[in-house]
Amino acid sequence: MNTVLSALPLILAPLLPLLLAFPALRSRLPRPCYIALLPALILLIVPPPVSIDLPWLLLGTGLGIDDRAGRLLLAMSVLVWVAAAGLLHSANDKPADERLTSCFLLTLAGHLGAILATDLVGFFTFSVLMGYGFYALLVTGGDEGIRRAARVYLVCLILADLALFEALLIAAATAKDLGFETVRQAMAQSASPGLYLSMVLAGFALKAGVWPLHFWLLPAFRSSRPAVALLLGAVPVAIALLGLVRWLPLGEVRLPALGLIIQGLGVAAMLYAILAGIKRTPLTRLPACAAIFVTGLFTTTLGAGLGDPAAWSRYGNLAYFLILLLGLGVAALVAAGRWLQAGSHSPAIPRKPVDASVAWFERWPGAVTRWATQLGADTLPRLRAAWLAKVSGCRRQIRAWQRTLDSGERFLRRWAHAITLFLLLGIVIVFVGALSWVW
Amino acid sequence: MNWGATLPLLVLASSLLPGLVIFFLPEERVATRTTLNLAGAVLKLVLVGVMIWGVFHGSHYETRLPLLPGLDLLLRADSLSMLFVVLSSILWLVTTVYAVGYLEGSPNRSRFFGFFSLCVTATVGVALAGNLVTFLLFYELLTLATYPLIVHRGTDEARRAGRTYLIYTVAGGTLLLLGTVWLYTLTGTLDFTARGFLSGLDEAHHAALIIIFVLLIAGLGVKAALIPLHGWLPQAMVAPAPVSALLHAVAVVKAGAFGIVRVVYDVYGVQFSASLGVTLPLAIVAAATIIYGSMRALFQDDLKRRLAFSTVSQVAYIVLGIAIAGPVAAVGGLVHLVHQGVMKITLFFCAGNLAETLGIHKVSEMNGVGRRMPWTMVAFTVAVFGMMGAPPLAGFISKWHLGLGALDVGQGWVIFILAGSSLLNAAYFLPILYAAWFKPPPDSWPAERSFGRRETAWALLAPPLVTAFLTLALGLLASAPFGLLQWARFITQLEYAP
Repeated sequence: MNTVLSALPLILAPLLPLLLAFPALRSRLPRPCYIALLPALILLIVPPPVSIDLPWLLLGTGLGIDDRAGRLLLAMSVLVWVAAAGLLHSANDKPADERLTSCFLLTLAGHLGAILATDLVGFFTFSVLMGYGFYALLVTGGDEGIRRAARVYLVCLILADLALFEALLIAAATAKDLGFETVRQAMAQSASPGLYLSMVLAGFALKAGVWPLHFWLLPAFRSSRPAVALLLGAVPVAIALLGLVRWLPLGEVRLPALGLIIQGLGVAAMLYAILAGIKRTPLTRLPACAAIFVTGLFTTTLGAGLGDPAAWSRYGNLAYFLILLLGLGVAALVAAGRWLQAGSHSPAIPRKPVDASVAWFERWPGAVTRWATQLGADTLPRLRAAWLAKVSGCRRQIRAWQRTLDSGERFLRRWAHAITLFLLLGIVIVFVGALSWVW
Repeated sequence: MNWGATLPLLVLASSLLPGLVIFFLPEERVATRTTLNLAGAVLKLVLVGVMIWGVFHGSHYETRLPLLPGLDLLLRADSLSMLFVVLSSILWLVTTVYAVGYLEGSPNRSRFFGFFSLCVTATVGVALAGNLVTFLLFYELLTLATYPLIVHRGTDEARRAGRTYLIYTVAGGTLLLLGTVWLYTLTGTLDFTARGFLSGLDEAHHAALIIIFVLLIAGLGVKAALIPLHGWLPQAMVAPAPVSALLHAVAVVKAGAFGIVRVVYDVYGVQFSASLGVTLPLAIVAAATIIYGSMRALFQDDLKRRLAFSTVSQVAYIVLGIAIAGPVAAVGGLVHLVHQGVMKITLFFCAGNLAETLGIHKVSEMNGVGRRMPWTMVAFTVAVFGMMGAPPLAGFISKWHLGLGALDVGQGWVIFILAGSSLLNAAYFLPILYAAWFKPPPDSWPAERSFGRRETAWALLAPPLVTAFLTLALGLLASAPFGLLQWARFITQLEYAP
C-alpha cells in the first residue's frame, strides 16, 4: 500500500501537467500551472527511494528518484517552475493565452519526466516532449527575433533527437536493457563505443547550446517573455547536461584524448562567455553569458571525467552542482535583469474589483498575490534605487574599460583581438595542465 | 460446411452483401444506407474478433472452394492475415462513419458506398487469401472496386487520375499474373506456406525464380507505390477524402505491401530469398523510395499531394523491414503495416475536415487554422509526430525495430536512411504545424461552413480523434501483453525460429 501511495506522485508528476495541458481539463481549475506542480512537490517529501517499473509502457520503462542529486534537481525545478508560473501571466505579458498555458504545461511534463526517468528510452521520450513544448513556448506570441531564435532551436532539436535516436539504437544493440547503469557498463565494455559517444555528445551539446553550438541560446534569451527566459537555463540546457551525465559511461572509461578536447572546448566556452559578457552591455544578455560560462565549466568537468575515471568518481558530483547552479543562477540573473531594467518609476498596479460570485475561500490566493504585489511595488523601487547607487560606480568602471577597448584606431581593435586570442590559448593550456596535474 | 469453413466466408459477406444491397437503394434512403453500412462494419468487427480469439486458441479457419482443376479458391486465417484483417476492419468502421458525414448531401452516394463496401471486401479477401491465385483474384477485384471511387467526382481531373490508376494497376496485375502462372508451371502449387515452398526446387530453376520474384514484386510494387511505379498515387488525390484514406491506409497501398510480405515470407521464404540475393536489391529500392517520397513531399503545396508522397515514403518502411531479412526488422515492418495505416488515415481525415469546413486545400492556406479548428489540428499534430517517429507514438516503435533490426543483421546503413527520412519528415511536416498553430489566421477562410459552436460536424471530428488516440495508444502500450508488438513477434517467430 505504502509503495503504491509513494509511487502515485511519481506517476502524477509528469502525468498531471500533461493532462492539464488540455484546456478542457483545466478550465474550472484555479491556477492550473501551480496545481500541476503539486505531485512533484509531494515527491520531495516522500522518503527515498521511490521507484516504479512500467514494463508495459512504450518499450518497457520506469520512473524513480533515489539519490540526493535527483532530489536536488527536482527541488530546483519546482522552484524555477513556480517562479515561471508566477511570471507567465504577469503584467509584462500579453493577456492570458490558453495556448501559452498548454505549452507551459507540456514542457513541464517533459521536464519532470526527464528528471524522474530511470532509463534511456524514458529520458529520451520526455526530453523530446520537453523540447517541442519549449519550442512552442518560445515561439508563442514572440516577435520576429524570437521566432528566428526558435527556428534555430528547432533545427538543433531535430538534429539532436536524430543523433540521440541513433545512440539509443546502438545502446539497445549493445546492452541487455536500457537502464542508465546497464548502458554505462555495457558501453564501457564495448569494443567500439566511439559512434555512441559522439552521437550522445553531439546530441546533448546541440540541445544544451554548448559553445560552439550555442547559436540559439543568445537570441533566445532576448525573449520578451520573462517566464520563458527564466526557464531557459533550468529546462532545455539543464536537462541536456543531465542527459550527458546519465548517458555517458563516466567513471567507467578512460579516453584521455577525447577528454582533453572536451576540456579545451569547455575552457574556450568560459572565455567566450566572459568576453561576450563584458562586451554585451544590456543586462538581459548577462544570463545567456552566464549559461554559456556554466556549461563551459560543466564541459570541462565532463572532459576530465572522460579522461580519467578516478577523477569522475571523486569530483563527479560537481556536475550535478553545476546543473543546479545553472538552473537557479540563470533564473536569478533573468529575474534581476528584468528588475533592474524595469526602472524606478513603476506604474501603479490597478486594483482589480473583487468578484462577488467567487466564494471567499477561493479568493484568498488572489488576495495574497495582490497584497504581495502591492507590497513589492511600494518597497522594491526604493530598494532597487539604493542598490543601483551602490553598483553604479562599478558599472561606470566597466563601461570605461569597454570604451577603451572599443575606441581607437582599427589596429588597436585588432591588437585587442590578438591579445584576447593569445590569452585564450594561454589560459586553455594552463587550465588543462592544472587539471591534469590535480587529477 | 462447419464453423471453421464458414467464418472466413461470413467475414467477407459482412461487407459484400450490404454493398450489393446499397447499390440498389434509392438516393433518398439515407437512414437505410447508413444503417446497412454501419451494421456491416460492426458485424465484420465482431466476426473478426471471434476469428482472432479462435486463431490464438489454435482453431483453424479455412474455406476451400474448387476454382479450376488443381486450383482452389482458398481463404485461410493465420496470424499474418489477421493482422491485416483487423487493421482493415477497424479502419473501415471509422472510415464509414467519416464518409457518412463527409458525403452528406452529395450525389451518387449509393454508388459510392456500394463500391466502398466492395473495396473492403476485396481487401479482406487479399488478407485471407491462402494461395497466390486467390490473392490475385481479390487483388484485381480491388482494382476494379477502387476505380469508380477515384473518378467519383466525375471531373476531367478525376477521370484522368482514374485512367492513370487503371493503366498502372492493370499493368501491375498483368505482371503479377505472369509471375503466378510461371511459378505454377515450375512448382504445381501456389498455396502459401510458412517459410515458403520453393527452397526444395532444383538449383537450375534459380535464375527463373529470380525473374519471377522481380515480376511478382513489380506487380505488387505498383499498388505499394515503390519507385518508379508510384506515379498513380499522387494523381489519385482528386478523390474525396474518405477514398484517399481508404487508398492510403486501409486498402490499396496496404494490399501491395502485404502482398510483398506474403511473397517474401510464404512463397519464397525469407531465408531462401536472401540466398537468391533478391532481398538486398529490394531493400535498396525500398530505401530509395523512402528518401525519394520524402524529397518530393517537401515541394508540394497541395496538402493531399504532400500526404500522398509521404505515403510513398512511409509504405516503403514495411518493405524495408521485410527486405532487411532479420527478425527484429521484420517486427518493425509488420507493426508499421498497422501504424502507418492509423497515422496516415488520421492525416487524411484532418485534410478532409479542413477542405470540407474551411475550403483549405493548400499548405499555404493553413495559417492560424489551429485556432479555428483546434481538435482537428491536435489530431493532425499527433499523427505528424507519429510519422516523424517521435516517442511515445506509434511511428517510434516502427522505426525503433527497423533500426535495431538493421544493426542486428549488420546493415548499419539503414539507420542513416531512417535518420535522413525523419529529417525530411520534419522538414515537410513541421512547417505545416508552425503555420497552423503559430501564424495569425487570415480575415476569412476560402470557403467556410458554419457548424454552430462546434468546429465541424461530429461525424467528421470523431474519426480523426479516435485514430489519433490509437496512434498514441499503439506507441504507449506497445509492450503490453497481447499488444501489436507481441503479435508481430509471434508472426516473425514462425518465419525465423530454428
